[in-house]
Parts: sequence; C-alpha cells; structure tokens
Amino acid sequence: MTIRQMSELVEKGFQRSVELISLAAHNSFRFNNRNTIQMITVEDEDLEQIAEYCFSLGDMSPLAARDGRNLVQMMKEPCSLLVFGDKRKSDFNYNCGACGYRTCAEMNKAEEVESLTANGPSCVFKNINLGIAANAAASAAHALGLYCRVFSTLAFGAKALEVIEGVDICISVCVSAAKKNPYFDRHEYWTQEHWDETFAKEFPPYNRGFIGAVE
Amino acid sequence: MERSILQYETDRQEAVRVAARLILASGTTTPRVGGVGECTIHIIDDPCDIEDVCQKMEEMAGIKKSWSFFNRDAAMLRDADALLIATSLRCLNDPADINCNMCGKLVCEYLKEEEKLPRDPDVAYTGPLCTFRATNIAYAVDGMMNQARHLGIDTGTYWSMGAAAMRMGIIPRDTGFAMGMAISITEKSPFRDIPKNYADINQRSMTDRMINRLWPQFRSIYS
Repeated sequence: MTIRQMSELVEKGFQRSVELISLAAHNSFRFNNRNTIQMITVEDEDLEQIAEYCFSLGDMSPLAARDGRNLVQMMKEPCSLLVFGDKRKSDFNYNCGACGYRTCAEMNKAEEVESLTANGPSCVFKNINLGIAANAAASAAHALGLYCRVFSTLAFGAKALEVIEGVDICISVCVSAAKKNPYFDRHEYWTQEHWDETFAKEFPPYNRGFIGAVE
Repeated sequence: MERSILQYETDRQEAVRVAARLILASGTTTPRVGGVGECTIHIIDDPCDIEDVCQKMEEMAGIKKSWSFFNRDAAMLRDADALLIATSLRCLNDPADINCNMCGKLVCEYLKEEEKLPRDPDVAYTGPLCTFRATNIAYAVDGMMNQARHLGIDTGTYWSMGAAAMRMGIIPRDTGFAMGMAISITEKSPFRDIPKNYADINQRSMTDRMINRLWPQFRSIYS
C-alpha cells in the first residue's frame, strides 16, 4: 500500500517514540555509574487501573484525584506511562548525611518503613539517579515532539497496585500523542457551575467581606 | 603568541560565559515537584573562585576515607571553565506535605519533629532531608546536562562541588542539598579519560615535573 492514514502513522510513531524515550532514559547519567533503575511502560487496562485507583483517593489526595481523573480522559488518545523505580538502599558509600544517617551502612541497617507510596528511608542519591532518568525521558519526549508530564502521583499508584514490582521508590513520566496538550489547562472539566461551587467551598475567604462588616 | 590565537582564547572565554547562562536557563525550566522557589542555580566562572571551591573540596577529602575521591574531583574542576551549582532550598526545613514516606518517616509531621544531623565536619548534608523535594535537583541537573549536550559542551557532574559550596557559604543559606555541574569548552574534555591517581598525576603536575622543573637546567647547559 502506498497511502498510509494519519491514525496509523501516529499510533506506530507513538509506539516507536516510547521505545526511544526509554532508551534515552536508560542511557542517561548516573552517579557512580550505578545504573540500577527499573523501567516499565503501562498502557490500556493496567493504566486504567492506576487512573481509577488515583481517582478513588478523592479528598485524601486531591492532587492524585485530579491526575487520575485526567488520565481517564487522556487514555482515549495514544497515551503511555513510563514508570521508573529503584531500590531504596545505598550502594554508593558516599556517607553524605542527606538521608539523616551519618553513614550509608547505618541507613541500610535502619528499620524499613513501608507505605503505599514509597518505602523509606531511601538514599537521596538513589532518588537523584531516578529523577535524572525521568528527566532524560521527559527531555527525549520533548525532542520528539510528544506531550509529556512528570507525575509522582501516578507512580505512587503504580507502586501501590504493584504494577511495578520489586522497587521501593518510583517516579513516572506520562507521554501522549493527543490532538492538543492534555496535561495542562484542562478547562473543559471546569464548567462554570462546578468551578463556582468548588471555589466557594475551598476558598471561602476569597469572596468574604471584612470581618465585622455589615453584609 | 599570535594575535589570532589570543583572539580565539578571548572568544572561547566569552562562549563559556554565554553558554553557562543558557545552561542555567534550561536547568531552571525543568520540571519541579511541589511548587516553586525550590531550586536556584549559581554560576561560578571566575578562575579564582573556582580555585577556592577546589581547595575546599581538597580540605573535605581529608575528613574521611569515603570522601577521598574529592581530590580527584578537585583536580578535574581546576580544568573546568565554569561551575554551575544547583541548590534545593526547601528540602531542609519545608517538607512537601504529601506524606510520601521516601524519607522513611511515614508522614511529613514526623519528619519535621526529627532531629537533624549536627553540622559536623564529617556531615555533608544535615539530613534527614525531604527526599521528595531534594529530587528536584535531579531535574535541574539533568536539564543542564541536556542543554550542554545540545550546545556540544563537555560536562561533569559532582556532588562534592555542591557540598563544598554549601560549606563555604557561597550559596543561599536555606540550601539543604546542592550539586554541581562543571562545563568545559576545550578540545579535550577534562572530565573524561581520567587516569588513576589523577589528583597527583594530571596535566598540571606533568607539565611542572617534566618541563618547568627541567627547563632552567636545559637553558643553562645548552646556552
């Protein structure tokens, strides 16, 4: 066939881009050459599961709820979530003190505190290596012309649901080939009525007169 | 020296000044978790100021064995044209209040109550820091690396530089975590191909031992 349609081009190009982005993240800078990060991409049903989980957090985490809600909409167009994770213990032996322990050995021996979002205490340099991978992915997505945003909420969701396994800390980068940038300024959600109601509830002092003034 | 070569040297230094600022711009616009006023980036492009940082790093290298590589870092940074130091301003005293447990304290209120490490010589960063906030440094640093790569400029990234700058008090007081990136606009990157014992055996010491030391005798004998 000599003619290929846009939907096919975008879909195939998107899949290849995700692979290239993963490659850029994989080959980015690491402190001490410790390239121990793990990486997966999540799409379709698994992504929907994360979106629903985040949305269900509701008032417990309004930020996660917002991201979950948006993700449900975003998934209607080509969309993929790259989740990066790593173990929390230090293998650097920098003994820098940033984690709150004087030496790496002390931190590694400390009791593990588990939670849905992350297991701590974690080595700050492990987190930095992870963040650099995430930023390299975002930068590659930008270079390829994809829409992109870094989400910690969705990564926490992926960890809580054990979509990514065997990691203590994680971060995610969501990329999309939607018709317009789906990550910022999602005004269609905010109908005037919904806005007025939420705003009045969340920020009552904004429209309130002087305290003591006759209303 | 030929006039045209001197002109090249002047232009090269001007390129460093401009590039450092463009790299700062890229580092500033990278993603941030949890709000604004998180990171600042500081440019050190005066050779004397770079030397001050290197000397501080060498001083710190003697404090404990696991920091002995600071000497090697300092030897590399002496050949750098400019240093960029990224700081994280909120990780020390202003946790992100999202209860992520990356620090291992379960919720932010517990982290606030936790006693920080004292400012002892063998403590580089007075943790426990808000790890979620400190991760912003990774974005800033990678944004800088990325811009430098696009500009075709050699870089090296060192936490030793950030720790030394914090100790020298040349970056904002609220800094909890700092990390540095050095740039070099030279034909050969001073941050790659680093032999063992680089702190002792480098271009500077080699020139001194093999040429500068022998040159007066050579002149005397062959004159």
